[in-house]
Amino acid sequence: MTIVSDKGPKMTSRDEFRFLSDLVFTRSSADHTIVRLRDHHAGTTRFANNQVIQNVDARRGSLAVTVAFKGQQGTASTTDFTAGAVQETLARAERIAKVSPIDPEYLPPPDPCVFPIRDTAKPETIAAGPSRRLEYASEAVGQCRMENFTGAGLVSSSATVGGIAADNGLFGYERRAGASFSLTVHTGDATGWSAAAHRSIDHLKIQERTLAAISKAKRSRDVCELPAGRYPVILEPAAVAGLWAWLIRSLDAKSYVKGTSAFADKLGRAIVDERIILQNSPDHTDLFGEGFSHDGLPSLPSVWIDHGTLEQLAYDRFTAKSQGVAIIPTLEAPVLSVEGPSVHSIQDLIKNTARAILVTNFWYIRPVNPRELMLTGMTRDGTFLIENGEIVSAVKNFRFHESPLRVFQQIDLWTAPMEAVNSETGKLLVPAMVLPQFQFSSVTRF
Amino acid sequence: MSSPTWDEFAELALKRIAASGAEYGDIRIQDNSTEHIEGEDRRIASIRDARDIGFGVRVLYHGAWGFAASSILSVEEVPRVADLAVEIAKGSASVALEKVRLVPEPVHRDRVVTPCRINPFNVPLEKKTDLLLNTMEVLHRQASIVRSSASLWARRDKKLFVSTEGSRIEWDLLAGQGECTATALHEGRFSSRGFNTPHLRKGYELIDEADLFREASRVATQAVEKVKAPVVDAGEYDLVLDPEHLSLTIHESCGHPSELDRVLGFEANYAGTSFLTPDKRGSFRYGSPFVSLVADNTEPETLAATGYDDDGVQCQQWDIVRNGVFVGYCTNREVAPKIGESRSRGSNRADGWSNVPMVRIANIGLEPGSATVDQLIADVKRGIFIDGHGSYSIDQRRYNFQFGGDAFWLIENGRRTHMLRDVIYHGITPEFWNNCDGVADQSSRRRYGFITCGKGQPGQSGWMTHAASPARFRNIQVIRGENSS
Repeated sequence: MTIVSDKGPKMTSRDEFRFLSDLVFTRSSADHTIVRLRDHHAGTTRFANNQVIQNVDARRGSLAVTVAFKGQQGTASTTDFTAGAVQETLARAERIAKVSPIDPEYLPPPDPCVFPIRDTAKPETIAAGPSRRLEYASEAVGQCRMENFTGAGLVSSSATVGGIAADNGLFGYERRAGASFSLTVHTGDATGWSAAAHRSIDHLKIQERTLAAISKAKRSRDVCELPAGRYPVILEPAAVAGLWAWLIRSLDAKSYVKGTSAFADKLGRAIVDERIILQNSPDHTDLFGEGFSHDGLPSLPSVWIDHGTLEQLAYDRFTAKSQGVAIIPTLEAPVLSVEGPSVHSIQDLIKNTARAILVTNFWYIRPVNPRELMLTGMTRDGTFLIENGEIVSAVKNFRFHESPLRVFQQIDLWTAPMEAVNSETGKLLVPAMVLPQFQFSSVTRF
Repeated sequence: MSSPTWDEFAELALKRIAASGAEYGDIRIQDNSTEHIEGEDRRIASIRDARDIGFGVRVLYHGAWGFAASSILSVEEVPRVADLAVEIAKGSASVALEKVRLVPEPVHRDRVVTPCRINPFNVPLEKKTDLLLNTMEVLHRQASIVRSSASLWARRDKKLFVSTEGSRIEWDLLAGQGECTATALHEGRFSSRGFNTPHLRKGYELIDEADLFREASRVATQAVEKVKAPVVDAGEYDLVLDPEHLSLTIHESCGHPSELDRVLGFEANYAGTSFLTPDKRGSFRYGSPFVSLVADNTEPETLAATGYDDDGVQCQQWDIVRNGVFVGYCTNREVAPKIGESRSRGSNRADGWSNVPMVRIANIGLEPGSATVDQLIADVKRGIFIDGHGSYSIDQRRYNFQFGGDAFWLIENGRRTHMLRDVIYHGITPEFWNNCDGVADQSSRRRYGFITCGKGQPGQSGWMTHAASPARFRNIQVIRGENSS
């Protein structure tokens, strides 16, 4: 194998960001000026049909300048960090602001604060380059070939610098790493899937995940068709995460205040099973917690749903101020848990279930009716019939038509929170769970 | 000392590629400007002016790809990135089973410029913010409107493509769009109704011609009617679908399954595969004889009509479905030879300098028929007219789909009557298209553009336009979007 060097580009340092932001502040004539940095270096090795089809490495640095004159604001950004380009970007932002109408919701930058320092920059991930990704991809592909399956997937790793600085002294700079792996194993109509994402590339567990996907694909070979209808379900963590990701996205406080939210009048009231707790856990080592948000607010642990009761909304700064909310919580590191005795594994959920549909993952989840948070989507890459504590057959994929606000009213059995990630959500920790009723509205051809 | 020109940067990269022994390489250098003005609830919520400059180098070495990109356009960075692309390609080659072979394409040296009457970037910002604020005021004239939005978007892409085969193509492209949305609240229930111009490669004349105030007044009125409308009764209906709605149906149920890279399994881990397998080409009855779906990347003003794709292949027109029979795919230089085609269809596009190009849906449109819209409706006893985009979801092989819409009217005994709400229809793609028994004529043909077509890992946003005249579909299963349990 050719050895590919893992020497990546030099990322923008704290001092360089300080220099660039000071350059902007010195030249700015605005009342308030904010500079945001995103310097992102990422590589992805993608494979399909058991061979590499795409192998890429890209670095993009971007600097955005926001200025405001008495509530008139404008933002301009550039990928060119030379002094001339940065000053030209400031000039563009000022030109915009000076002719913009006053924004009644404009707020000055947040006061400076000390942001939490988190272990976000895993050196093993930052150092990983094309050769490490190729090694991991080859490991997965090799295993698929040995088992006479076809594998498609990816290995990616990234290093990102995020920064925010304001002319009132606010300053945040954070190096963040991320790595991910996903694999779809298929032969004919049989497919199996597994995925992982972590700050540390060492935690992707390529072999374990590959074997899990292969195992799913093996079990998917014999497929039967069941009619659409209501079934008890066992949702694996990725499937639970897919539904909860939409619930979390719908927690916008401004919509709540305006009455155009599925949660209208539900703040402080029970919205799901009284044993459910949803928290932000930015210090959890398996999640992607950050020190500060895009708005320059610290990310802190917080409780969003407490024993089934909605306790928090996702506030923009203006809505928070108008509603008297002093501390704006973030939710970039969600942990969903169910209070009470849990079983150890998904296998235990299966063993304790008389009849249900086991769902590995959902795909293409979209809102149907935002008032009720009614969602639709398809099962994908491993859907099985469970009878008497065993997988008896794979089943053709279903379309569902359900609201998380209805289906999570009652949970029959669950595990402890487990790592969950799929192609349409970020990473969460959620339990696998048994739900007594789930509406599948139609069946597809495979 | 002045900075090197883009051609000099390109030469620097291509020399490194040639010296490496690679059989093919290209570089794309881009300078993209995007202006996005967003209004929300009677205020201008944000004005963003983004400049995105960078380059990407693609190398084919011993039949395997490598790609590297950077936002630093300098004499030090260009060779570093070119060398990295070569190194990555060598790594890919070391584990390759089947070698990539590019189907030939003539060398092109050309410049493509979007014609426009009014450059949107030269229109005073105050004029645009006034337009949006006044549009939102019109939306709020209806008492039940509780939320509003209005936005303008413009993009300019300056791009240079140079390949080791000698092609050199330069672009200066424009695109624009404008839209507004009203949300009505009634008895604790809320509904939105929107208007948008299509995304087109036109100047600001696109916005001037749209008459946002008139459209705002219309959609505000309809938002109120919609929120108060009765919920649909589930059952079987004939559907008459308007061109904007059809653009999404075409995109999801015909566009994606006709991408040959999906068919060949390249997207099996993410976007999915396709039911339109090569054995079906030329014989599979995708739709009724009324259905002809034509890819046309040459139609002026459409998003994929860029003269050439990111393989440097000239844009073309070809059939995907002819008189109901599936006949063709969207391809690039890599996948075309895998089905025995001697030339790429020119559908290889990246969403910017930092991403590698891949097969994207072409401008696929439904060929007009001969009926008028009134004639289509006149022959419906119990049906629904659906306008605009709503909820949508489809399985990973593009069989089982479910669509909503932005507005719905009940058709009874050949007449469009009152609005309905919460209409959702679902079906299986070929069954649905085989139930098409009429397409309206050219006079009602409209075009709608997409700029957020997600595909690939890392994810990219594809751009394409789908044109259609209204079409009628018989006996389609409709369900309620509202929870009836």
